[in-house]
Amino acid sequence: MAAFLLRRLVHGVIVVALVATIVFLLIHAAPGAPFAEAMDNPNMTEAVRQKWLHAYGLDRPIGEQFIRYLLSVFRGDFGFSYSNPRPVVDVLAAAIPNTLLLMTLGLIGGFALGISVAVVQVRNRGKLIDKVLGGVSLAFFAVPDFWLALLILVSLSGWVHLFPTGGTVTVGEYDYLGPLGRLADRAKHLFLPALTLSLLYFPIIARHQRASLIDVLPSDYITTARAKGVDERTVIRHHAMRNALLPVVTILGVAFPALLTGAVFIERVFSWPGMGFVILSSINGRDYPLLTASVILGAAFVVLGSLLADTLYRWLDPRLR
Amino acid sequence: MQRQTHISTATAIHCGRGEDNPATCCAVKISFSKSVILIALVAACSDPDAGRSDAATGGTLIISVGGDPETLLPPIASTTTGQIVGDLVYDRLAEIGDSLNTVGDYGFQPRLAEAWAWAPDSLSIAFRMNPAARWHDGVPVRAGDVVFTYKLYSDSINGSPYAVSLAGIDSVTAPDSLTATIWFHQRSPMQFYDAVNTMSILPQHILGAVRGPELRASSLSRTPVGSGRFRFVKWNTGQSIELAADTSNYRHRPNLDRVIITIAPDINTALTRLAGGEADMLEQIPAASFATVAKDTSLRISLTNGLDYNFVQFNLNDPKARSRAHRLFGEKEVRRALTMALDRRSIVRNAYDSLADVAVGPTVRAYPTTDPSLRQIPFSRDAAKKTLDSLGWKDLNGDGVREKNGTTLEFTLSVPAPSAARRSMAVLIQEQLGTVGAKVKIDVLDIPAFVDRQNRRAFDAVMGGWHVEPSPGGIRQTWGSGGAESDNGSNYGSYRNPIFDSYVDSALSSGTLSDRRAHFSRAYQTIVDDAPAIWLAEPKRVMAIHKRIRTVGLRPDAWWANIAEWSIPAGERIARDRIATGR
Repeated sequence: MAAFLLRRLVHGVIVVALVATIVFLLIHAAPGAPFAEAMDNPNMTEAVRQKWLHAYGLDRPIGEQFIRYLLSVFRGDFGFSYSNPRPVVDVLAAAIPNTLLLMTLGLIGGFALGISVAVVQVRNRGKLIDKVLGGVSLAFFAVPDFWLALLILVSLSGWVHLFPTGGTVTVGEYDYLGPLGRLADRAKHLFLPALTLSLLYFPIIARHQRASLIDVLPSDYITTARAKGVDERTVIRHHAMRNALLPVVTILGVAFPALLTGAVFIERVFSWPGMGFVILSSINGRDYPLLTASVILGAAFVVLGSLLADTLYRWLDPRLR
Repeated sequence: MQRQTHISTATAIHCGRGEDNPATCCAVKISFSKSVILIALVAACSDPDAGRSDAATGGTLIISVGGDPETLLPPIASTTTGQIVGDLVYDRLAEIGDSLNTVGDYGFQPRLAEAWAWAPDSLSIAFRMNPAARWHDGVPVRAGDVVFTYKLYSDSINGSPYAVSLAGIDSVTAPDSLTATIWFHQRSPMQFYDAVNTMSILPQHILGAVRGPELRASSLSRTPVGSGRFRFVKWNTGQSIELAADTSNYRHRPNLDRVIITIAPDINTALTRLAGGEADMLEQIPAASFATVAKDTSLRISLTNGLDYNFVQFNLNDPKARSRAHRLFGEKEVRRALTMALDRRSIVRNAYDSLADVAVGPTVRAYPTTDPSLRQIPFSRDAAKKTLDSLGWKDLNGDGVREKNGTTLEFTLSVPAPSAARRSMAVLIQEQLGTVGAKVKIDVLDIPAFVDRQNRRAFDAVMGGWHVEPSPGGIRQTWGSGGAESDNGSNYGSYRNPIFDSYVDSALSSGTLSDRRAHFSRAYQTIVDDAPAIWLAEPKRVMAIHKRIRTVGLRPDAWWANIAEWSIPAGERIARDRIATGR
């Protein structure tokens, strides 16, 4: 197991280094430069423009910029953000907790709902409820994320004013609330984006889980369990589910990086200041250091997610050990 | 009546040096000390704090904007959000008046300078600092801060885009702690405006020796300390920026307790936030949402002339070899024919409904120097077709696109992606030019790519737009020959006409409104006739504001300029209005 983990970690470091290199080159090759809004100013002369580029080393050859960047990263310095007047580490430190909170809840909600729906469908296989839930899952699967987010925003926040429109807290009021009030305020702001994410993840989980359960149910050990008089609920929960979870674990591995990289459109619609927000604004602002650091983190989480999925496989399926 | 008061040898006080003001005639010899007393008396008579009750102050204004500023330091701030915060937290020496007069000092209101005196030769102006002015950390504002601010703005190492406006200043000195004297290279009608409007006075004791790229990383970049009527409280990136009333301000406290700028990048979210009462105002309502917002009885729509205009700008040079003329747009008659082929009125109507006027040229109607009745190239597709025929552009192969000497009448129109109005106008232009045999390929680009293409002059035509300053002087950079070079200006299409330049120079050196207007009209008429661009729309500023907010003086160039005078009547306040003070 230790050798497996070590091998995967070495692979992971190589993957992250490659991704960082490719992203650095791609973002520099993209047309445009940082500070576009400032540059699009009739008073901005070319001399001043060049001063700005020189100040951030953007007038140096791309190879030199890359080596300088690598050296600073090895020193633990991810640079200074162009679009936020702060060190990149500070920008990420502010955004990551927001994304982790939102994505964790969204994923938990999505997996819980998806697995539950699949179990209900399998227990009622071929019946009306199976078809209705299948249709509902398909509908949510087909809906674009930004559209669903807008629908939820407009209906639950715009029409009936049940929840705030976005942000993590109520601006202008949060600081004056007591501890419980602050908790409730954060929960209210978290609900709609987390619900949207759950509704986007659940159909994927439900469809895979249902198919997987249906594959597992004709197995001999399930027939044996039934023959021994075990009730259907226990059969599914204790015997079928463990083997049927493998495809879902794969999805978890794929979804894991989203814990850090966030959901760009959801965060935009709900004004949620997380990593999706940061990545989008860093692309729009050609904020090279911030974008590169975000992608390095995302790549690291992809590697970790893959490692996590493989480790879970080995735990769930003894044949892989 | 033409008078050159900008070279008056009298010592004028700030009661009005502009030629357009009858008060200019009072450019009399009044001693500095007398002027200070006079102004102090006027200020005392109009002190709004006198008799002000608690009921008159209070409330929270929440403004929804589309994005975070990149910095809150005025010399390098370029986004609207950054300018709003900068203008509320920092003060200038004097503030331009609601009339937006930029000639002389007529209409300018005292701020950090309680009075000023012109030298007899108008080559210097001595500003008397208000001794009561304090930075928000309690340190007095002194003339040394003005000297420091000038150096910071004008030192090229700091890369301030506003330095160009200070080019006419020779130096700034501080003969004593309460007097800052600005010395000019030469007299000009707008020397006062250029000097005063450009600089937000900054605290020397905080910025100290910070220079160059370190400015962006300085503490003031995220936590400004100014002398304005609002203090900075906090900035939660991606969420909000909070300002609070400076209750001990030398110009009296503002009516509102707090101003909070909340960030909503998605316009639908911003509109929902406004409708639900989470925000009190949205500064720019898209035309598509106007009808919905207008139906909301809790909101008031404010429709004012803006300082924006947009256009299709032709590149008159070959993008691949700038020494050569563009294969299509190097020829004036082709540009005029394409302009003729467009029904600009219907295009603007489609994109903006009734929320924009058809632009009359490289100017806006808010300028008193703009004559909206300038002669335009008339819309006539038949005339456009005839002109193109006569120039030899004919559809020889029957594919609907004209050709001439093996070149097709086809070009790429670059469009900035975030602008929905310009995207929709581009589609209409494509359709309408197609009817006269011109093929348009639309290329939608994100802002950095669009700006890069403009700066490198690597385009056929762009859907451009300018937000202009209160002074029309910026036209030298945007359409003058001096701005046509890639290394010195923003005349991306490289339009050059010495006659136009000459009229602009004459206009900008005129001391009377009638002279300026006459010269500018000739300049605008010249450029309209030359058609280096198709002038499209002059969008109005459409703001939605909650009815409980009482606004004062929405200046076209900066609607936020008078926020300190806005108020919320005690009987109409909601919970968040009382929260800061517990009232």
